[in-house]
Amino acid sequence: MRTARYADRWPGNYRAGMWMWLLHRISGVVLVLYGITHVIVISSARTWGPGTFDRVLERLGSPLFLALDVLLVWAVLFHAFNGIRCLLLDLGIGVRRHHKPLFWAMMAIAVALLVVNVVVWAPYILGKPLAE
Amino acid sequence: MTEQATLYVFRYDPDADGTPHFDRFTVPWQKGMTVLDGLYHVLDHQDGSLSFRASCREGVCGSCAMYISGAYRLACQTLLENLPGREATVNPLPHLPVLKDLVVDMEPFFRQYQRIMPYLKPSEPPPDKELLQSPKQRHVLNIHIDCILCAACHSACPLTWADKDFVGPMALNKAYRFAADSRDAARKERMRLIDPSVWKCHTVFNCTEACPKSIPITTAIESLRHMALVQRLKFWQR
Ligand code: SF4
Ligand code: FES
Repeated sequence: MRTARYADRWPGNYRAGMWMWLLHRISGVVLVLYGITHVIVISSARTWGPGTFDRVLERLGSPLFLALDVLLVWAVLFHAFNGIRCLLLDLGIGVRRHHKPLFWAMMAIAVALLVVNVVVWAPYILGKPLAE
Repeated sequence: MTEQATLYVFRYDPDADGTPHFDRFTVPWQKGMTVLDGLYHVLDHQDGSLSFRASCREGVCGSCAMYISGAYRLACQTLLENLPGREATVNPLPHLPVLKDLVVDMEPFFRQYQRIMPYLKPSEPPPDKELLQSPKQRHVLNIHIDCILCAACHSACPLTWADKDFVGPMALNKAYRFAADSRDAARKERMRLIDPSVWKCHTVFNCTEACPKSIPITTAIESLRHMALVQRLKFWQR
């Protein structure tokens, strides 16, 4: 229902800055959770033994997890370039008149890097084995 | 047959049933008609119990800010013909307590206004002549002094939603307007008053997008941060 107090919560009406702010928080949480997972996975060789470690790594090398890795890369790129955007704004660069071009420029760089990444990883995601 | 426009108007009467709902009104339309004209037509001809605030009808008093069809706008500055299908969904300003229909309690907003010392403070002892400003000194204040206290920015800012201690975009723009004024001698005190609020801005730009006077509020906040930083670095003046 459309209630007045939160009428502006509908995401369809968010402007660019609002999306950036929201996604920055979401990607931040994703990266923290990833960091924790990463530590657990890497230390599994000690905690659960080499057998488990190998099996986990094999699972993580499957196309599905490689595809998820692309999402992870996007989280990193988005968080990094939006962070740079915030820093530039804080330095007074682009804040008065050019915050929209700045937003597009930063996202363009991030997307370009993501595309490079996808191109490099695509064969593996499509099933090429990781190691000979 | 006369052409028509449609208004979906948020209704809430705490004394009657107390459940918020939307009423649909059809009003005769002619070119140049604003959402506020539509609301007045409803009030005069269809439902005398409709409550809303307005005064000047020309975007200078700041009474009629509402959330209209997905954006924060002044009802008196929003032409019905610019809304798709000539339909307006009219909400009171979100995140402020609704008193009745489209009327919100502005107290949380003006409380923040009072916090930032919203007046010029000359040096001590006060000068015995008036303080002159060069056109250049005056130019700095341009557009930042245009604020009409409509609360659109306050309502739009995700920081004010979550943090009741944050002074909010309007107060920060006002603080900038006074701190940047060549006649003001209280910059140090002003920096104290806006700390730590000035650092809480996440440059979401919602306020700047919402402001019906197109004030670059985010720029004002960044300029204030600059001033506050310089103030802190001047350790010999603390
Ligand atoms: S800064 Fe703009 S949006 Fe905020 S109260 Fe003033 S006129 Fe309204
Ligand atoms: S009625 Fe004065 S600003 Fe709209």
